[in-house]
Amino acid sequence: MKKVAYYKGCLAALSAKELDSSTKALAPKVGLELEELESVTCCGAGDIHEAEPDFYLHLNARILSYASATGADTLLTVCNVCTLNLRQANWQLIGDAELRARVNVNLESVGVPAYERDVDVRHLLWELAEAEGYERLKLAAHKGLKGLKIAPFYGCQILRPSRVLGFEDPDRPSSLERIIEACGGEAVDYPAKLKCCGFPIIQAREETALGELVQPIEQAVDAGADAMVTPCPLCHLSLDAWQTKLKAVTGRDFRMPILHLSQLIGVAAGLPESELKFRRHVISVKPVLERLDA
Amino acid sequence: MKVAVKIWRANADTGDRALREYEVDAPEWVTLLDVLDIIKDRHDGTLAFRKSCRMMICGSCGMRMDGAAVLACKTRMYDIAQSGHVPVVSAMGNLPILKDLVVDMGPFWSKFRAVNPHLQPGYEEPPGGREFRISQERMNVIHKEALCINCGCCVSECNAMESDPDFLGPQALAKAMRFVGDPRDAGKVDRLELVNGKNGVWQCTRCYFCNERCPKGVDPRDAIAKLGAESINEGVDRDMGAKHAKWFVRSAMTTGWLRETELVPKTQGIVESIRQARFAIKLARVGKVPSPFPPHVAKDVKEARRLHELVEQQDRHGYAGIVQGEAALAKLAHGHHEGERDPYGPGSFPRPWLPGENGKARS
Repeated sequence: MKKVAYYKGCLAALSAKELDSSTKALAPKVGLELEELESVTCCGAGDIHEAEPDFYLHLNARILSYASATGADTLLTVCNVCTLNLRQANWQLIGDAELRARVNVNLESVGVPAYERDVDVRHLLWELAEAEGYERLKLAAHKGLKGLKIAPFYGCQILRPSRVLGFEDPDRPSSLERIIEACGGEAVDYPAKLKCCGFPIIQAREETALGELVQPIEQAVDAGADAMVTPCPLCHLSLDAWQTKLKAVTGRDFRMPILHLSQLIGVAAGLPESELKFRRHVISVKPVLERLDA
Repeated sequence: MKVAVKIWRANADTGDRALREYEVDAPEWVTLLDVLDIIKDRHDGTLAFRKSCRMMICGSCGMRMDGAAVLACKTRMYDIAQSGHVPVVSAMGNLPILKDLVVDMGPFWSKFRAVNPHLQPGYEEPPGGREFRISQERMNVIHKEALCINCGCCVSECNAMESDPDFLGPQALAKAMRFVGDPRDAGKVDRLELVNGKNGVWQCTRCYFCNERCPKGVDPRDAIAKLGAESINEGVDRDMGAKHAKWFVRSAMTTGWLRETELVPKTQGIVESIRQARFAIKLARVGKVPSPFPPHVAKDVKEARRLHELVEQQDRHGYAGIVQGEAALAKLAHGHHEGERDPYGPGSFPRPWLPGENGKARS
């Protein structure tokens, strides 16, 4: 078992509780021992970075510090936006001793331990797409997906900017496809899988956001996908919940089921509904589950 | 060596489009631009593309290779030719194609002009007719933005602009930041008001394609974040996007976690929230609208609150909070750390999206 400091972020704690429960249920099956961070806050979701960036840096340094205090080498995230925000802050601190010293003085003066021992911020996707995690995933996914056609949707902030994220080629990623296939599904290719779901501006500029959101869903439907999978709960929220708004815009009722990464693997690993919590989705996942049970 | 490329030929007058393959003999050091020159000189004189300096400074030869915007003169062909891959070359996205690889830059320049891309003097003249001196530290603020060569590679890939062509976009906004951060410029607040319009800062969807593609390291997305932070710092915060961002700060200070349910009225106002009631009920039915009471409070959240008080007293407000981290981020080499993986080899997916090709014609 690999011990990791688990940072679930806002959505998994609130509106996407199904992401948290499925991740926790899946973790022991793929060799991850989660030590959940308690004394942590929101990473700022890019918004605090765009409102009060110095506060953003300190909030994230505080999260990194508590992750370091667990003794684990890895801070595990389950959200693209958390991944980018934490990795960016981490690089800023690791690459600039003067800046880190200033932030550490501030942390200590409010009673937070200084961030001394570096941790590596890694998304669950990366843990499971290669090396030991991938081997364990293949064993865990014993139930399979009966060749279901799954459309991978990466979301932006797990690929770009690649110098901060850097796990795979941002233009030709393959981690989600590898996982889908290891679970016994068929990965569907479509152009918009690397593009934006529109979520960051879905409240402030809904029309623009919906113009982005429609592309991946429409293309996944046209490519014959049975469901889509995403490693990001923000993409999940727009793809799942805001999908219902696309009907008014496009006249098409897509009804495309959207799965969190942990849920997709969870299904293949035979985890029960009590952990996967598909009832919390706006677009029903039933048609997919029925095909698997048939 | 032999170099093969496929080029999307296009003619705006006739509406004809066709993918043509060319194979040329070329020295090993050639760039994509050299290959296009050879094709035009020796194979097909009708091929249209823009070029001038051939050294990454004029910004003329922006185009797409395998769906990603590049400067043709910066793109070496040796590795690609050796791998046997035949790349697809096409015109940039988000701009109308005139012929082959030449796009109409008109919309690009009108957005560029819209942000008043020239210094607004009005600063205090140094006494005795001396020069206006600026410290290196002050110039570092706009170092990256000043590198822009107006090539359009960022605009080509902008996801928000693809959805709304009126979005000012990464190039114009980065240019605006270049003047907002200039200590000699007297028009800062007016500029911030300008970029807080409907098609300004808060329409950026944070897809980060601009940072990824910029051949000069401008990082337009970071420039947009700097404009946002400086706007809020200067009290230019009426836009829904600014209110949305400020609510995250408020949430982090009070409960630690995002107060999701209150985010909608705080961003859009009460009236719009009521208009959205039907949608909210749909979400609430499946538990997507967590109750704000009792609030979900993070342990030790008072530490976050005290950190906020502390940084407020320190001098890294507005864009300075982003600039301070740039030196460290600059140490990260562009690209990824998995050098062994062949991006064109078996098992890799073709680059998927070529605007103007309806997402269908892919190599």
